[in-house]
Amino acid sequence: MSIRRIVIWIGLLLCLLTTGCNEQKAIVELAEGNAVYYWRTDLRLDSAERAFLGRYHINKVYCRYFDVVMDDATGEPKPNATISFSDTLPDSIEIIPTVYITEDCMHETHEGLAEKIVKRIRQMNETNDIRNVREIQIDCDFTSKSCKRYYQFLKEVRLSLTSHFSPLTSQLSTTIRLHQLAMEAPPVDYGALMIYNTGDPRKWEERNPILDFRDVQPYLRRLEGYPLPLAAAYPVFQWTRTIQGVRVDHTVEAEVILRVKQAMESERSNLSRLIITYHLDKDNIERYKPETYEEIYHH
Amino acid sequence: MKRFIIISLMAAMTLPSIACGWYGTDNYYLFSPYTGQNFKDRVEKICNDNWKAYIGETSDNEWYSFHADDVLKAARKKGDALMVSYVQNLQKYLKCVGVERDKQYEWDYPTKEEIAAQQRDLKAVREYAQGKTNSKLRSQHALLFMRCNMVLGRHQENINFWEQTASQFIETVYKDMMKNIYAGALYKMGREVEAGQLFAEMDDYESLMTLYYKKRSYEAIRQHYMQNPTSKALPWLLTDFVNNAQEAADAITGGGGAVGKQFIRDINNQESLQMQQFCELVVREGKTDYPIMWKMAKAWLEFLVGKKKEAVDDILAAAKLDGTARMKDNAHVLLLYITASQAKPGQALDDYLADELEWLKGKQQEHEWGDAFFDHFENRLTDQVLVPRYRSNPVRLTAISHALDANGSGFDLDTLNVASTEKFLYYVNSPANTKFDKFLKRHIVLNDTAMSDIIGTKYMRLCQWDKAIKWLNTVPVDYYNAHRGKEYLYYSLVRQWDVEPWSQRQWLDASKAWDSDYKWWKQRKLDFCKEMQEMENSLSVLKGKEFEQRCYNLAVRYAQASIYGDCWWLLRNYKSCMDSVRVNEVDLGQKAIQMLQKVAVSSDPVLKRKALFALGYRELYNDVKGTKYWTDWKWEDGESVQIYHRNAPQFLAFQALYEQTGDQPQEDYIRRCDEYDLFRQYYRQHH
Repeated sequence: MSIRRIVIWIGLLLCLLTTGCNEQKAIVELAEGNAVYYWRTDLRLDSAERAFLGRYHINKVYCRYFDVVMDDATGEPKPNATISFSDTLPDSIEIIPTVYITEDCMHETHEGLAEKIVKRIRQMNETNDIRNVREIQIDCDFTSKSCKRYYQFLKEVRLSLTSHFSPLTSQLSTTIRLHQLAMEAPPVDYGALMIYNTGDPRKWEERNPILDFRDVQPYLRRLEGYPLPLAAAYPVFQWTRTIQGVRVDHTVEAEVILRVKQAMESERSNLSRLIITYHLDKDNIERYKPETYEEIYHH
Repeated sequence: MKRFIIISLMAAMTLPSIACGWYGTDNYYLFSPYTGQNFKDRVEKICNDNWKAYIGETSDNEWYSFHADDVLKAARKKGDALMVSYVQNLQKYLKCVGVERDKQYEWDYPTKEEIAAQQRDLKAVREYAQGKTNSKLRSQHALLFMRCNMVLGRHQENINFWEQTASQFIETVYKDMMKNIYAGALYKMGREVEAGQLFAEMDDYESLMTLYYKKRSYEAIRQHYMQNPTSKALPWLLTDFVNNAQEAADAITGGGGAVGKQFIRDINNQESLQMQQFCELVVREGKTDYPIMWKMAKAWLEFLVGKKKEAVDDILAAAKLDGTARMKDNAHVLLLYITASQAKPGQALDDYLADELEWLKGKQQEHEWGDAFFDHFENRLTDQVLVPRYRSNPVRLTAISHALDANGSGFDLDTLNVASTEKFLYYVNSPANTKFDKFLKRHIVLNDTAMSDIIGTKYMRLCQWDKAIKWLNTVPVDYYNAHRGKEYLYYSLVRQWDVEPWSQRQWLDASKAWDSDYKWWKQRKLDFCKEMQEMENSLSVLKGKEFEQRCYNLAVRYAQASIYGDCWWLLRNYKSCMDSVRVNEVDLGQKAIQMLQKVAVSSDPVLKRKALFALGYRELYNDVKGTKYWTDWKWEDGESVQIYHRNAPQFLAFQALYEQTGDQPQEDYIRRCDEYDLFRQYYRQHH
């Protein structure tokens, strides 16, 4: 890690410590960087994907380690679709273990869940020789019904993080959907703002359900005052589904992504500090021109 | 053998993981050109049978599975030291496989030490097994050797071992399993085409799905054919394509399974059309061994996209082409389905169906173990074609649904009107006049006592007590004791219909149903009918308070017998929280309301209050169309907001009661009611 990044991280931590008691938290800046989500069940990169990491100076990979789903048999959450590590990432890239939790896991309190997740991540790192993990991210499509329980859960994750990871480096982030901007901010170090899946999938003929500027617009005014540092995650994926027997491929035009990015950054300039694309995959790389990716990753 | 452990491990270890699982569906596929028994099921059964034979287990238990301790005990008894060591090493191997499972689904992810121990154990077992490949149990040990190699990633070694040694072994299930591992190793080493041929040969559908997961489009299948027109994987790929097209068509018509769609791949009309044209091309080229398969695929795809006439022409043409016996049978059933779905109703269709369905019943008798295609076909034909076709003839429809296997999605005897049900019983017990009737009656198995109970109960649901009594009189008490579950008997014995449900709920602990041997000693349903008949008949001669009290007592009984009452068992055999008043039955809640309204104007203040309180009982209004409860919740701006309906009958009843009793009611039954308490809190501030 460069000296500059160490300083930034320590600065971020100090800011959090010193402002912890204030009602109005000062929003710290995230370290500048380019990132991707990795959402497959085997960490194995082909040459195109590896080249992508280098070409766009990707320094963080948010890697889905496993999902947490409700086990119908026991009524308790359990891990599912755990990733295998057939490959390694270049040393220069920081891996951020990411865990997707289905919302129904937050319908009631499950004692020890946070501890189990953190412990499992730590064990996966140890077993698979993944070093220098400084952060974990939790992804959950929480609603106003599950929000309170989810936030409590995040607090417990943070507590577990400090006991299982170095307290000085254990960061916690969570994904934030646009509609969640209207809720109280979650108790994490920063949020990864998911700028996708914004529309009503049933009204796909009117608006692109992955991303449509008109669906983003109402949330723009919430960006400036949102009391948490935010990274921006943009969609580069394709969603294929059948609607009344007709195959429909949803993809977002490059122009739309860039227009949304511009509008969001004009409301909140530091949204360009940490940029993530969802998700790393050969097909997604080929979907857009290199110029588009350069624009997306432009700070 | 631990269920599927070997094969699931194969799938997990030798092939790339896929994020979406491949599931079956209860939406039965009609394109099934081969009888192959899924590799996993086949080998598992043979292995289990072998273990069963070894330990001397003679029971008919089809679900026997491997227990190492049983085998070790049997082996020691026989002095079979080689088997003892084999099973001990097999156990060790299975433990190593367990570590792989833990990685996926357990909170305790294996440690480095555990992985190291796993690797160490695998190597030790591998070495042991290799040393025994010339022993008496050579096939088993060779399989164990290859399994270890597979988990250790020594795929080239497995390829060499199979090609040089194991392929020469005598034919056993263990050899089949080794060949399967060999195919997986070929795949791992990049020899996908060879692997695909072997998986297809072995009917290993899971591996085929993984191998061809992204190569199942029309274009991919076309390219596959161009490279090898007689590829063994083509029947599987074509079947997958056609069945997915069926899924897509079902999604439009809503004719799929009850558990929802599980799309494997989406086929749209354009891709289906391309495939139809390609099927025709394949038949014309003459390079395929099975032209019938391609032609019937074309016919079925045409049918699914609504080209019904072309479908008939092509399925008739398909029946004349070359193919296996199974393919000819498949063409036969498709012809039946396509024809029956568009033939005009009448004698000709009935006669045709009589012959064809008899043929189908014969095919069901012949089927091989594990092949339920003809049963599934009957199911779908009944649900999708016959039930809709005969819907206007309730008696025939009822007969069809009794003679043929159906999911019941299109017909429900429980909701059939009582007149048709009586006619059906008469139909079954009278001589058949037509060929189709003869077929149906030959296959209907009916219990006359059960039918009497059904008809009697249907009359109860209509409150026609005299007719209900006539039918239920013929149903002995023993019938209920023999044909009702423990919970039903317990509930029906303990719950009483003369308890006021708005004042006292008769909660029961269902687990207590097993505490005693509950049996009816009286015909409870008949007793209820007689009591209701007597109470209703004498109502008109009563006057004043006696009349009002009778109305109140009747309301209690209607409310109890309704689906929301504690005595639901009078009119139903079971109850679900999703249940409501169905067609062809009286809303007993509504009847109770009508009775209570007569009492609510009583000059007797005690009775009046009781009636008003009862009219506030929300269970009475569940099925009264357009009626709202006095209060409800609605979602507004992301928040749940309580709303009040001041014109709701429940509200008006509580309001009248409040005016009667004031804010502090004397009666204990009113004070105990939490709902009325909520009303008081609201009304106190808002009246």
